[in-house]
Formats: sequence, C-alpha cells, structure tokens
Amino acid sequence: MTPLLYGFTAVGIDLPSVSDRVGPMAITHEEILRAGRYRNLTIGDGEADVAKSLHQFMLRLRLCEEALAREYHPADEMRCPVHFCVGQEAVPAALSLLLRDDDYLFSHHRSHGYYLAKHAPMKALFAELYGKATGANGGLAGSQDISFPERRFYSGAILAGATAISAGSALAQQLGGKGGVTVAGFGESATDEGVFWETVNYAALAKLPVVFVCENNYFSVFSPQLKRTLLDNISQRVAAFGMPHNAIFGNDAMLVYRSLRDAVARARKGDGPTFVEAYTYRWSGHYGPASDDLVGYRREADLEAWKCNCPIALLEQALMGHGLLADQEKVQLQQRFTAEISESFSFAKSSPFPGEVDWAGLNLARATPEADRLLAEVELQEFDAHQESAQAKGY
Amino acid sequence: MPAAQSNAVAEISYADALKQGLQQAMSLSPSVIVLGQLVDYAPGVFGTTTGLAEEFGSQRVRDFPVSESAMTAIGIGAAVAGMRPILVHHRLDFMLYSMDAIVNWLSLWRFKSNGRSSAPVTIRAIVGRGWGQGPQHSKSLQAWFAHVPGLKVAMPATAFDAKGLLLESIFGEDPVLMIEQRSLFGLKDRVPAIPYRVRFGKAVKRREGTDLTFVAAGVMVPFSLRVAALLGEDGIGAEVVDLRTVSPLDTESVIQSVKKTRRVVVFDPAWTSFGVAAEVIAQVAEREGRNLLADPLRICHPDSHTPMSSALEVAYYPDEKKVASKLRSLFRRVI
Repeated sequence: MTPLLYGFTAVGIDLPSVSDRVGPMAITHEEILRAGRYRNLTIGDGEADVAKSLHQFMLRLRLCEEALAREYHPADEMRCPVHFCVGQEAVPAALSLLLRDDDYLFSHHRSHGYYLAKHAPMKALFAELYGKATGANGGLAGSQDISFPERRFYSGAILAGATAISAGSALAQQLGGKGGVTVAGFGESATDEGVFWETVNYAALAKLPVVFVCENNYFSVFSPQLKRTLLDNISQRVAAFGMPHNAIFGNDAMLVYRSLRDAVARARKGDGPTFVEAYTYRWSGHYGPASDDLVGYRREADLEAWKCNCPIALLEQALMGHGLLADQEKVQLQQRFTAEISESFSFAKSSPFPGEVDWAGLNLARATPEADRLLAEVELQEFDAHQESAQAKGY
Repeated sequence: MPAAQSNAVAEISYADALKQGLQQAMSLSPSVIVLGQLVDYAPGVFGTTTGLAEEFGSQRVRDFPVSESAMTAIGIGAAVAGMRPILVHHRLDFMLYSMDAIVNWLSLWRFKSNGRSSAPVTIRAIVGRGWGQGPQHSKSLQAWFAHVPGLKVAMPATAFDAKGLLLESIFGEDPVLMIEQRSLFGLKDRVPAIPYRVRFGKAVKRREGTDLTFVAAGVMVPFSLRVAALLGEDGIGAEVVDLRTVSPLDTESVIQSVKKTRRVVVFDPAWTSFGVAAEVIAQVAEREGRNLLADPLRICHPDSHTPMSSALEVAYYPDEKKVASKLRSLFRRVI
C-alpha cells in the first residue's frame, strides 16, 4: 500500500463512486484519490450534442494553454504572471454552453478558460498576454486581470473580490427583470476570505440570480486546504446560510454541466443563488506551466492520479464508447484549433505595443454624458460662515 | 446641459440638501439605488435618506447588513451592470472594512479595462466631530483616498455644494468618495430646487483678500472664514479658497490666489503629516516657492487619534481665536 498525502492510505480500494455521494457526506480530495480511476461519466439520451460541445471546448482550451505554456518561459515575450488552467477545463466548458450574451461572468486569476467560456476572441487574449495595443485591455491588464466588457467577462487577481462583485451585477439583473444571471468562478482559497461569506449571506438573503462555482483544487499556491481550515466542508458552510449547494467531482464534464445547468436555470427563474463545488486539480504550478514546487507540497503520485482522471480523457472515452467521436475527427479538431492558435500567436506577435499614454484619461473619465443630460449649471457662492457647526448631541 | 427651469432657491440645511439630491437623483433615473445600514428607517442617516424608502421602495433603498466589504463590491458590480449605486456609511471608519473593494477593484476598474468599462459608485462617508465621537467615529482620511488614482474625493462645505457634488457624483462616470462632516449637517445655505451640478476640480473663492491665501476643505471652510473675519478686524485681508474636491485638486485656483497674496495657509480637517495640506503646499512650492513672502503653514489636527473627553476635544481641534492670534503674530513678524 502506498501512503498518500495527508494521512490517508491505500490506492485501488473500491469505494462508492464519488458521483453517488450527496448530502452531508461531502466528497473530499482524499476520497477522490482513494477511488482511483473514475468510471461514472455518462452521456444520457439527448446529451450527445452537449457532450461533443464540451469536448471541443476543453480540447481547444487545453491546446491553447499548452501552446502558451510552450512559449511562455523560453521566449519570455509574455512578461506577466500567467496561471494556467490545464486539468481544470470542465467548469469553463460547461459555462460556455450555458451563458447568454447578457449574462455576466467573473473569474479568478486562472482566467483563460472563463475568458473563452464567454466567447471572447482568442486573438485578443494572446495579444493581451504579450502586452500589445490589440490586447483585450490594450496590454494594461495581462492574464490575471483580463476582461472583455463587450462579452461581459471580468477577472481579477485578489481572490474573493470578483466573487463579491458578481453579486452586484446579479442585483442589477434582478432589478432589471430580464432574466439575466451572473456566474462567479473562484478557487476554494477565495472562501478563506471574509468577504466571500458576506457575499454568500447577502446573495441568499436577497435571492440574487447568481451562481457561485468553486473550483476546489485543494491548494492555495502551496498550502493545502486542511492546513488552512479545520474541515474541508465548504458546501456545508454555505448551506448554513440557506443557499442550495452541490459538491461534485469536477472532472466529469457532464456532471459539471448538469449541475451548473440546474443552478443557472434556478437563478434565471428567480429562485435565487446556488453554490456548486467542483473538486478538481491543477496540473501546472500555481503560476507558470512547469511545476513550481519548491517545498514538496504535493506528491507526484497525487498529480499522476489526477492526470488519470483528466476531464478531457474521461469524456473522450465516453464519446468514443458511444460512437460520438472517431480518432480521425479528433485529429481534425486538433488541426483546426492548432491553426487558430497559430493565427493568434501571429496576431499577438505582429501587433504593436501601446504608444503614447494619457495617464489621466486612463484613470478618470473624460466625459460625463449622463450628468450633462440630467443636471443644470448653477453657480452660487455666498455662504454664512457664522452658524453653529458643532455636532449636535446624540449619534 | 439643461437650462435652469426654475429659479426657486430655498434656504435649507446641508442634511436636507443631501436628501433633496438623493430624492431627485432617484426620480431622474431608475438606475439610482441606495445601499447602507438603516437607510430605510425614519431617522434616515441623520435625515439624509428619510422618506426615500416610502417613495422608491425597498428594492431601490436597501438596508444592508454590517458587511461593508460586500456592500462596496456589490456596488461595483451593480455599477458595472449599469446601475448608479450610492453607498452610505454613518461613519467613514466603518467603510474601511471595504478597502480591498475600493482600492484593489473600484479605483482601477476603468484603468484595467482600458476605458471600456466603468464603475460610477458614489460612496457617502460621514465623519463625526465633537460630543465624544472618539478615535473610531471621527477619522477623515481624505489623503488616503486622494492618493489613489481613479478615485475622486469630494469634501463639500456648504449645502449648495453638498447637493451639487452629490448629483455630479451619481451621474458622473467615475467612482467618488464624498466625505461629509457631520458637524456641517445643520448649516443652512441657499439651495436651488432644481437638480444641478457642481463640477469636480473647481475650487471656489469664498472671500476676497490680498494679504494671504487660505486654502480650506470641508468643515475647515467655515472655520477659516471665521478666522479670516477675525484677521479682518486687524486689517489683514485673507482670501479663502474652498477646494470643494481634493481629488482632482484645483491647483490653478490656489496658484492664482497665491500669486496675488504670496502667502499660503492650508486648513485641512485631518492629521497634519502627509495630508492634503502637505500636498497643496508642495504644489505651491513647486510653482511659486521662490515668490513666497512667508513660510507656508498647515492648520490641521495634531498627529494623534481623537480623544473622547470634551476637555481634550477642545485641545485637539483647532480653535479659531488661537489660530487667528498665531497668524496675526506671524504676519506682523514677517512684514
């Protein structure tokens, strides 16, 4: 028996499948490792198109990340922190099928999957990483702060901040009454922040049309969840605020899709927020493509075990089993995506760097159209300074 | 811009002017919402939100849990999605729970989107003074926020400015921190009935003078006017420039006055060191330093937290007679 990390032992023990676990018996990273190869991915009747679309999205994202990773350090032309999402493709893939144009999506710093999930252009993503004028944000944001406002996609590097902001766009959507929803994607480390729980409380209280999707990849940079909290029971804590929750194996793209589909539908109907906790694992280092393990924070065996449960491979196996994907078709997809990636590199590399900068104009608006429209100009300067100005007794 | 449709002007208090501004903003646009603790109860944050919930409903006038951090973030998200939220803090000190939302998100929202997204959030932060408010109910901190790019900081001193700057903040495109000193809330002033604007970065001359320039912000504006009146009794003419907004700072108006008087005294209702007064003096020194006839001076609070005891409050806050006397002697010495 091989001892695994964090006090658990044994591989290959046949435990109940993680996908069967619901309710208070929340799944954990340890249980997923103990269960070994995942065997429960299913493609149900009428789900063939969804399965194929999820697969294509994940394949495109994986190829995109791998290509960026190959270029990242050697060329050193992408001079910004990049947090790769290899291994964590399932949640963005599901969102790519579920969100409307008028929905909002806020993501953490591991942003590329979410960016593509909102159908923002790959070329502008690449150009942003290269700091070019044609980047999604003209080279001002980079990978960890990238946004594409026209597609209602935003991200940021300060963990729970974007999650809290997501409740605000959800409030606007609730007041607007057009059925729009907001989704916030974040890692489990974001739940270490106090503002996360303030947000969960208010979203539940106000029945906001928001879906919180937590990609629990177990690590805050190097630090494992159980070194940071006594219990790995995030979903149960959310339940204490009165919010429906669903903890699932996050590398089963079909399961992730169904769970998020139900959560999005709930929000759209006006039934309030849902918390989805998708257990997954990052293959790359915290930042950068290679292992950044300076401290021995994870065992090679754990990483290998998770690679055996690759979200793309799991779905591919099922697709092929159902005759929904042939080897040749996969090669064609790879060729198509590789060509798109190659074009994106060319675009980014050949684009100009930003030129002259108007610092003030970048930070403050140059025009005030609403104020111009609604407010009058008046000037009064007289003022009696001899009035009593001490604070009155009382609060 | 719409022409003034009515010339009606009424003498109302600073608090009533804020309430009128909020009421008119909510009438003008359904995108305006108010979030804050107890904003929907009759006392209405010192009378500034009274009646709004009855008129506009609890969806738009929202009592918020004591979760300032989430409240500010939700304000940002709502603004990004097209709303014009106003966040209200009974005391600025409580707003500090939301420093991450203000500094890491709100201030740089426009910047990091490369100007393609904006978050016009108005934050009303009230500062206590007197009657034992003590160190957790009286901090002003305008220098902290004026230091951060992408935030505007207003410090209205009069009822007219309170309403005009509030409306300008709500319907402008940038995030604004309105620092409102509680001790000004009862001061009356002539306020037009129509919705009007007071622009950012436009100081106003409250008093003409040729001997020295007073630059003041917020509650120090009436204070410096009273000091100026005392000096006037001795034939010393102080010109008083009310900054109105400390970010953007109207350096031009200050410089114009200083070119004439060649003396500058800055009144800032905050700790002395590293503050707005220091910034104003630095700007003057960079442009007019060699032409000054006297060393610049700061009239601020001691570099100490605020005491509770009324006896110590008297010692802590600047006293107009003592300041007038100090300036009188300095003025005579340098002439």
